[in-house]
Amino acid sequence: MTQSTQHQFTSDVLTNYPLNLALLDEVFNKEGKVNTHYTKVLDQFSCYSVEDFKELNEHAKLSFFNQGVTFAVYSDKSKGVERIFPFDLFPRIIPAAEWQRLEEGIIQRNMAINWFIHDIYHEKLILKDGVVPAELIFSSKHYTKAMLGMKPVGNIYNHISGTDLIKHSDGQYYVLEDNVRTPSGVSYVLSNREAMKKTLSGLFRKYNIRSVQDYPQHLLSMMQSVAPESADNPNCVVLTPGMYNSAYYEHSFLAHNMGIPLVEGRDLFVDKNFVYMKTIYGPKRVDVIYRRIDDDFIDPLVFRPDSVLGIPGIMAAYREGNVTLINAPGTGAADDKAVYSYVPAIIKYYLNEEPILNNVHTYRCELETDYKYVMEHMEELVIKPVDESGGYGILIGSRSTKEERDEFKRIITANRRKYIAQPVMSLSVHATFIEEENVFEPRHIDLRTYALLGKDKQFVLKGGLSRVALRKGSLIVNSSQGGGSKDTWVLEE
Amino acid sequence: MTAEYLIEYYTRNVYESPVTEALFEFIVTPASDSAQQLKEIKYGCSLPGQLFHHTNPFGFVATNLRTIKPFTEFEFSMIARVEKTYIAPKTYQPLSPEEELFLLASRVFIIDHYHFLEFTKYTTIIDEHANWIVYKQRRQPVFDFLQELNQYIYSRLEFDPEPTNVHTTASEVINLGKGVCQDYTHLFLAIARKNRIPCRYVSGYLNQGGNLTGAAVMHAWAEAFIPGLGWCGFDPTNNLLVDNNYIKAAYGTDYSDCSPMKGVLKTTGNHHTDYQVKVTQQATEPGSQQ
Repeated sequence: MTQSTQHQFTSDVLTNYPLNLALLDEVFNKEGKVNTHYTKVLDQFSCYSVEDFKELNEHAKLSFFNQGVTFAVYSDKSKGVERIFPFDLFPRIIPAAEWQRLEEGIIQRNMAINWFIHDIYHEKLILKDGVVPAELIFSSKHYTKAMLGMKPVGNIYNHISGTDLIKHSDGQYYVLEDNVRTPSGVSYVLSNREAMKKTLSGLFRKYNIRSVQDYPQHLLSMMQSVAPESADNPNCVVLTPGMYNSAYYEHSFLAHNMGIPLVEGRDLFVDKNFVYMKTIYGPKRVDVIYRRIDDDFIDPLVFRPDSVLGIPGIMAAYREGNVTLINAPGTGAADDKAVYSYVPAIIKYYLNEEPILNNVHTYRCELETDYKYVMEHMEELVIKPVDESGGYGILIGSRSTKEERDEFKRIITANRRKYIAQPVMSLSVHATFIEEENVFEPRHIDLRTYALLGKDKQFVLKGGLSRVALRKGSLIVNSSQGGGSKDTWVLEE
Repeated sequence: MTAEYLIEYYTRNVYESPVTEALFEFIVTPASDSAQQLKEIKYGCSLPGQLFHHTNPFGFVATNLRTIKPFTEFEFSMIARVEKTYIAPKTYQPLSPEEELFLLASRVFIIDHYHFLEFTKYTTIIDEHANWIVYKQRRQPVFDFLQELNQYIYSRLEFDPEPTNVHTTASEVINLGKGVCQDYTHLFLAIARKNRIPCRYVSGYLNQGGNLTGAAVMHAWAEAFIPGLGWCGFDPTNNLLVDNNYIKAAYGTDYSDCSPMKGVLKTTGNHHTDYQVKVTQQATEPGSQQ
């Protein structure tokens, strides 16, 4: 490891920052100099002592307690334990020009995915033209015949997309995943900003930072834009599976900030192909539903008959055009990790444009040559199931034991369609306050972005969730896997 | 030449304890297509609440009813008048076996008929029953093969309404060696699809006049896509080709897309369902006969 001694800080927390030249550091360049857009942060931080940082850190944590920002982890050990999402004081800063390009790329990508979803439920031209293998789509567990021929308002399917990006050691952004079912985490973006404003208000004023607090307004106006035409003054709601869901905080946060009702399945019913909400004044028609319930559970008449979370008959109301569901059911067939590898081709096919954002090279185990390569190079690859999210079921070859690799070889061979592999991407690192040691150290980060597609309206949240792999050397940034987050500042021109 | 039928569907359901909230869905309305026309329809229901309809993903009418007034029994009925257009005996010139095979294997064809080629829960034959599957000879026309398949299933299974229920799969039918029209049809679908011939499940009504099996209840049969001809109906329960006596209500990938009645209810305990179907051929009006 090469250390740099060129920075001039007086504060103890930054003097021994272990700069690793093999990795791309967002804050420092290869000579150990501070990247210009970070100088004001470092000027300010160098005035603080270790005790100051500890205090600021506690202050920020308190802000989360006060905001009630928690999440629950699904695992055998910790059933229903509420945790606070670890938050880091050092903001991630993205310069205006860099952001501009990202934003264009995110919109391009999600528009193309939207056309793709439309196509696979209608003419299936991209499959017939052999650009994307038909089997890949038809074998996806998220591809549903309930969506055949369905044309939602404005022809929008993936109203809300969460595109995950990383910055590689070559300085380029790469898309890691497309999330077009129900991407979560946006409430943390807004809460992080709130905590940051309270904790480091002085620093905040030294930058011209684009707002993230307008997200709920944009979300609501997107929802209104796709209301059924018959709705004059659309009634929009957020539908949650309930308070035991890991993202319940976010559901209530979004409903509260949009000023619309938060409902559960039992609060709604369908009659005469319209959806109604039970209120003390009697039934009230519902026009747009931001549903945070998985496809399988939204309508027991159409999907899982044992679901008690959903609303019987809602798919019929939807197909009759009397209610809009956000996102559309069946979008998961497009964010499958095996489909991911075709997104550049999907962009060219529908938009006739070169993809702005890079894709990570992906080996598809169902292909004979790729399968062989994966079996032989497991230690150099990251292996992922195609239809899981949240960082579950992943094998990182270089960190695995022989037993783990043998086990993966067995399960991949048993179900090749289910697995893809990618080279280990070198995620950029960012200075991060390490509580146990009271110093800043580099930690790997990624970026979850949030894009909205409405009727003739596109919006990307100016910022996003910079997730931090808090464990030293770890590459997994998901909150459910011990990750934290940073406020992400997008600068004005 | 046309024939007119009066079709009656009637169901009565009794519940052990009161149902406090229910949404029912019926797929029983005769379809309108090139071979049949719905002339008149009337529904009846003993529960308060207004019936409403929607079009399902395959384009058929589904009828719903929601009620929140507690009940322990209810009746639902439908009476329809349908005109069938006489289908001329098949006089088509089959494509050559090469042309048929080429079409069945073409990517566009497979994608267009994907849903009717897929092995669903009902249409999967497990490996240990592989010896039940029959395959088309390379030079055999698809139509001839399907007629053989119709005969084959008819002869291998015994008609018996007792041992199966609505959840019986093709492989379970093979185990039992007997079943009802739904089971015959699922087995037909499973084997046709093994041959990569698109095949769909049809639910409907059979004219009782000919003393054919499957009259007092709703009937099920299969439609297969014959290259150069289009969709063609086969009834493996009776070893017959579908004709004017068959009145379609809906088709889908299997029974799950066509189940005549389903519901989501709040209740506890058992329930009992009775239903019956009556198909009567109407006297042809003077003058309409050629």
